[in-house]
Amino acid sequence: MNFDDFELIYKENRVEIKDKEKIVEELKSKIGDTNVSTEKIDILAYTRDTSLISLNWTIEGKLAGLPEIITYPENVDHIKAIINIANREKIPITPFAEGSGVVGGAIPLRGGIIIDMKRFNKILEINDKNLTVTVQTGVNGMNLERYLNDKGYTGGHIPQSLYTSSVGGWIAHKAAGQFSTKYGKIEDIVLGMKIVIPTGELIIFDPMARTATGPQLDKYFIGSEGTLGIATEATLKIWPYPEKRTLVSYAFPTIEDSLNATRQIMRENVYPAVIRIYDADETMRHFEHTEKAKDKVMTVFVCEGNKRLVDLEEQITREKCEENSGVNCGEVPVEHWFETRFNVTETSMFPPYKIVADTIEVAVMWDRAAELYHSVVEATKQVEGNLLVSAHVSHFYPNGVGVYFTFGGVPGKDKSEFDFYKECWDETIKATLDAGGSISHHHGIGINRSHWMEEEWDGGLEIMQKFKEVLDPNNIFNPGKIYQKTWKEGNE
Amino acid sequence: MEELKKYKWMIPLISGAERHVRRKLLNNLRKKKDHFYPEGDYNADVKNLINCMLCPNMCRFDCGTLQAAGKETIGPAYKSRIGYLLTIGKIDPEDPENKEFIDLMYKCSNEENCKIWCPFDFSVVSLLETVRDDINEKGLMPNYCKEQIEKLQETGTIEDHNIFKTYEEKNIENIDTNGDDEVFYYIGCETMKFPKVVQANIEILKRAGVKFSTNLDERVCCAAPALNIRDFDMVKQLADKNIELIKKTGAKIVVSDCPGCVHALTKRYQQTGTINGEYIRKERVKEVTELPEEFSRNIFEGGPEVIHIVEYIKRLVDHGSLTLKDVPEKYQTVTIHDPCLLARNLNDFNSIRAILKAIPNIKINEPVYNKEDTHCCGWSGTVHWADKEIAIKESENRIKELKDTGANIIVTACPTCELGLAYGIEEQEKSKIEIIDLSELLMKAF
Repeated sequence: MNFDDFELIYKENRVEIKDKEKIVEELKSKIGDTNVSTEKIDILAYTRDTSLISLNWTIEGKLAGLPEIITYPENVDHIKAIINIANREKIPITPFAEGSGVVGGAIPLRGGIIIDMKRFNKILEINDKNLTVTVQTGVNGMNLERYLNDKGYTGGHIPQSLYTSSVGGWIAHKAAGQFSTKYGKIEDIVLGMKIVIPTGELIIFDPMARTATGPQLDKYFIGSEGTLGIATEATLKIWPYPEKRTLVSYAFPTIEDSLNATRQIMRENVYPAVIRIYDADETMRHFEHTEKAKDKVMTVFVCEGNKRLVDLEEQITREKCEENSGVNCGEVPVEHWFETRFNVTETSMFPPYKIVADTIEVAVMWDRAAELYHSVVEATKQVEGNLLVSAHVSHFYPNGVGVYFTFGGVPGKDKSEFDFYKECWDETIKATLDAGGSISHHHGIGINRSHWMEEEWDGGLEIMQKFKEVLDPNNIFNPGKIYQKTWKEGNE
Repeated sequence: MEELKKYKWMIPLISGAERHVRRKLLNNLRKKKDHFYPEGDYNADVKNLINCMLCPNMCRFDCGTLQAAGKETIGPAYKSRIGYLLTIGKIDPEDPENKEFIDLMYKCSNEENCKIWCPFDFSVVSLLETVRDDINEKGLMPNYCKEQIEKLQETGTIEDHNIFKTYEEKNIENIDTNGDDEVFYYIGCETMKFPKVVQANIEILKRAGVKFSTNLDERVCCAAPALNIRDFDMVKQLADKNIELIKKTGAKIVVSDCPGCVHALTKRYQQTGTINGEYIRKERVKEVTELPEEFSRNIFEGGPEVIHIVEYIKRLVDHGSLTLKDVPEKYQTVTIHDPCLLARNLNDFNSIRAILKAIPNIKINEPVYNKEDTHCCGWSGTVHWADKEIAIKESENRIKELKDTGANIIVTACPTCELGLAYGIEEQEKSKIEIIDLSELLMKAF
């Protein structure tokens, strides 16, 4: 098998490792023969993440990125040894765990070394009094949640990628689960961490409920997407497994009605674990059998926790829905949502038909939520070949929401699939910024959004770049992501 | 186009699109096979290999070999991706340098918990097997598989001698049939490595007054290894002998101490058409999903029922043919390792528990992953031939889960599990942890 037979998408600025044989031998001597591989079969396994365009590339025999060495550290000393060698030799490093990211974060843009964190998969301790669990960060989300459920708890972090993602990936990409309205995003859930930074030191942030000890340095690493270090251990909040779960659904005449109802619910300090507003197109797609929801906006709620509180939350939720023209659709649509929420078949179904699709999540405050929804839909519809534009509002806070857009279609005349993909992305992000939104709610920046960081952060990006230089003077940690424009200029 | 039915909501979107866009899309829909399927004749289930390789790997967390190896390379979707690349020739299977890619098609422990989570409802091994068919047709069967086939050819078992014929030296009683047995006790070849298990089962059947035979002088392997390797000449050869012997006993019920044997004699013979004398490969995946339940219980029209011995023992206990008493203190707290073939493929995790509950002083500490969610011992499927280190690590992982229950006695009902799990116990713990077949435990309850 020859990698030259596969088209490489990201090849600009790729670094070829000099004296590779010598480096491999040194790595093996430091972390063990079986924890280092240059076998083609292993290299090929790390040439993409789960960004949907990389699935189109997969069936077409293209590779997103091409690493040269794969490492499988088993402890912190192994990670330090790999980093020390990489620093000395200026070799790029891409941390990788479950590879479920959808913005290119785990694609080895510059080649180099992959650090696969799968062997950091131990669940170390549950502390019932503190309501925490301490884990190694390579642990798979579903394996953690199943373990917690067995012991009578929930981790409260249930992304659609639960089965395919790791705690480390959640931290790296500042993830959110479907139940985040009650339990928070991962930055709310992480109480402590151990992180190996690019210069090879281990920083320990002890778990603490709250502190006032200067700027929150620990939070700066959450969402750094493998550019500032590798988290090796984390202490997370957990909750007693809910005593009661209530399923509620209402169909609204318009998305504005539904946004008003949900905003008023949040205003009452009521936190259903799940709230999801599906626009009329997604309602038709996901709830076609709910007659009362025809041509309407389906909104599902899951209230869970202490029975008495759940009953009260349900009562207030229903009141606010009915005050805003909501029509009660019962439990069935929510049961359907539970049954199908992990039923991901679209990623497999579209690429064989050369259909390019993706989802893009953004954030916005309440006062411009409806405006943002409409303007993004309108803007993305203008992209030639884009057949599918829809959205659901997926995460709710007293002050704003996360909105999750979907696009899909085929490239227009003289355009490649990648051109079409980038155009849909850029139209969505531009319209989001114009409507006062933030460019990502929970998938992160990676490659796909890095060229929008200036607009997102104004002068803040420059400061981030300086922090990056201090922490990673050789720019070896996941280069080409977050701080550098990879798409726009095509040479980063 | 059939699969697009789920996407009928797309129809108005397509019909409303600009003309050139619509034409392009319809062309893509029509030409999927031209674009992405190989030319010529092949056995590989390309459609589902593609479905699997483009999936976000929804089963990865429960794949025993991936969890054991800790390498993306062993992930289920990646195995399918390599199966696809081998099928379309992007990775040339005939190039000896690509042997590692062929080997990957065998690094599966057949535990099939992937099927529980699969949005398409298939098990990954069922796809890999179709790739193995092409590998075999090209004469590229790996040596570790060829060695098993050679042993099956020479001895009728996957040992270098016919292990059934070692009964005398192992102090196992052989009972030949006289053609009117109530039960044919169909001993697994792996079980012959655990003489106490066989002795216990014989004692249990005798205590319950069952008329049975063992026919060890005429026994051969059930063909499960050949089914995994996909050598259907060998499958047919062994199946014919087994079917003939089963008929000869006249038994109404065939009971085996090995879930692999029961699975082979029932579902797998049926799925591959072995029972009907005609084996069907290309339609296999369809057959698996559409197989009526009754086929799994009856290998011949009006013929004997084939069940695992725990199900039979449960019947004996329920009917009062066996009475169980207290076990010694050491055995009062046990955990259960559900064999994946028994719990998932044969859908029986209740019998073991029902029998244990009939022992007055037993306490069961369930592991986190139990019943149909059980994890593999590492020794099922072909991975223990293709990559023994992964199989051992899988076994170590399972032992850890079982140890976490706090019980030192691990009860199981599969000789392959007993063999595999033993690899997972550290040397210094061997005197502390005991893996015991249910039948051996019952001997302590009489």
